[in-house]
Amino acid sequence: MNGMSLTDGQHEKGRAAGHERETIIELRNVDYTYQAGSPFAAAALHDVNLKIQRGTLIGIAGGTGCGKSTLLQLLNGLLLPTGGSVRVLDHTLLPGMKKLRLNALRRRVGLSFQFPEQHLFEDTVEKDLMFGPLNFGFTREEARTKAAEALRSMGLGDELLNRHPLSLSGGQMRKVAIATVLAAGPEVLMLDEPTATLDSAARRELIALLARLCREEGRTILMVTHRIEELLEAADEWVVMNEGRIVFQGDADELVDRTNELREWGLAVPEQLRCWEEWTARLPQLAALPLPRTPEAMARVIAEAVRGSAGAPDAVRVSAPESIHRSAPAPGSESPSEAVNEARSGEWEHDLCATN
Amino acid sequence: MRDKLIIGRMIPTGSRVHGLDPRAKITAMLLFTAALILSNGWPQLLVLAALSLIVLLATRVPLKTYLRTLRPMRWLILFVFLFQLLAGAGTEAAAGDGFLWTLGPITLSAAGLSAALLAVMRMVLLIVFTAMLTFTTTPSMLSRGIEGLIKPISRRGTGAERFSLMMRLALRFIPALLEEAQTILKAQAARGADYEEMNLKEKARLLMSLLVPVTVGAFRRAEELTTSLEARGYRIGAPRTSYRQLIWRRADTWFTVLFALLPVGALLVRLTV
Repeated sequence: MNGMSLTDGQHEKGRAAGHERETIIELRNVDYTYQAGSPFAAAALHDVNLKIQRGTLIGIAGGTGCGKSTLLQLLNGLLLPTGGSVRVLDHTLLPGMKKLRLNALRRRVGLSFQFPEQHLFEDTVEKDLMFGPLNFGFTREEARTKAAEALRSMGLGDELLNRHPLSLSGGQMRKVAIATVLAAGPEVLMLDEPTATLDSAARRELIALLARLCREEGRTILMVTHRIEELLEAADEWVVMNEGRIVFQGDADELVDRTNELREWGLAVPEQLRCWEEWTARLPQLAALPLPRTPEAMARVIAEAVRGSAGAPDAVRVSAPESIHRSAPAPGSESPSEAVNEARSGEWEHDLCATN
Repeated sequence: MRDKLIIGRMIPTGSRVHGLDPRAKITAMLLFTAALILSNGWPQLLVLAALSLIVLLATRVPLKTYLRTLRPMRWLILFVFLFQLLAGAGTEAAAGDGFLWTLGPITLSAAGLSAALLAVMRMVLLIVFTAMLTFTTTPSMLSRGIEGLIKPISRRGTGAERFSLMMRLALRFIPALLEEAQTILKAQAARGADYEEMNLKEKARLLMSLLVPVTVGAFRRAEELTTSLEARGYRIGAPRTSYRQLIWRRADTWFTVLFALLPVGALLVRLTV
């Protein structure tokens, strides 16, 4: 949607390092085994340690079956750890504890599941939206207001309120599913692959919305995804999981240094990271810069670097414009400066570095 | 929910029983059931119990797991026990035989107690043996086995295939539906309606509210499944080969023969004693 608002990596870094944030989620040596003690026992998490600060937007990535969804379910008490401790806000979840009155926690920590159609079980959208608020002790009137607000905040109109949830389109269903969680006004919003069934425009719109919920309303957002590139711009921090362990936690700049490992962890390396890796190898002066978070910003930074090194060694001069030319879909961008203009107009997107 | 319902899922231990032909195991199961029905005395039932214990141990699945399969059936077992106890007592008491004690209209007798225990024993053996079959055989092998058994009986070739496909789909759908119900329960719990924290009345209401979405989900899945079967060229009656052929080995013959002896023996005992 509005891609240019967060483009400057520098400003974003400054904000993140600005002041110490309160740690609201802390996992210590957490293990989780499904059906523990039965012959079907299957370990999903091993010795997970994690800290998450309030008001941050966290991307959680990992191959299938790496324990991402299990992790989310531990954070609002749907599952209790089989080892270690989980602290979320002012609740501490321990193995084997009695699950009583977790609603106080669940009101504050909302979870949107992977498949929206499994999320919606009432016969109208409005009832589904009101389900959470009613359970969390709001009156019918309040719940109705919250339902309508949540729907509007997802960019959907009131006319959907009386529709059957399963009669909606895939994208609408997904948005309604997220709205059902938002209706209760959670401080922490967890989403399990929310963009899986959306087209690219809807995906960007949703992520811009999540970023707004995080930046303007101070909510903490945890989003599971297997498309790192879609969240590269918005995420403050990344958690990468592999085979039930957290193998990486850090920001996108640190992630760039681990691109080789990403492949081992069963993740596709985002084109943007691949491109940056390639260019930093060619133009060493780029390596000192933070990773530009959007393709547009990256194109601009690279083009400026190429122009800056025009008088430099031959290898760079020959290879750089050629590579830009190869990757740019628009005809006629023969020189780096034209490439910059292309980049500014924002038409480049992910094809920027489709060289290999 | 799935934690409690463990019957119907294969537990891979790689034992000899796992390696038997599903047709042999199903035949043995039928013969065992016949023997159970024909046995009406303690000696016969103890023989059956001993034999099934040997088979259970041979599967290398812990016995505790077998006991867990009885848990969901405990109320039914109790009901059968009480029913036999009271009904059996009535007839025996009328014959004036083996009197234990009387409390108002309730009379208990030794024979009634014995009959009740026999009935419970039969039920337990049947459940545990069925569990053995499903613990050692994947659903697809099970349905292939049934298909193989029906094929020689059915005149037109498609009957067996139709039945087997139906069974396979039904078996495939049971865990899928349970999973779906569980996911919806989780979605509800996440939004403040936790099944485990509720009283009986609220639980009943919540389960009722599952009915519609799970049924809708089942139809959706069924539709997708038919489409995907058709898309991959599946046609009833079309010549098909199997990736894994069923092979009948000598062990299968011995296994079947052993179990064939059981109902014959039980029948002989019944006729002669």
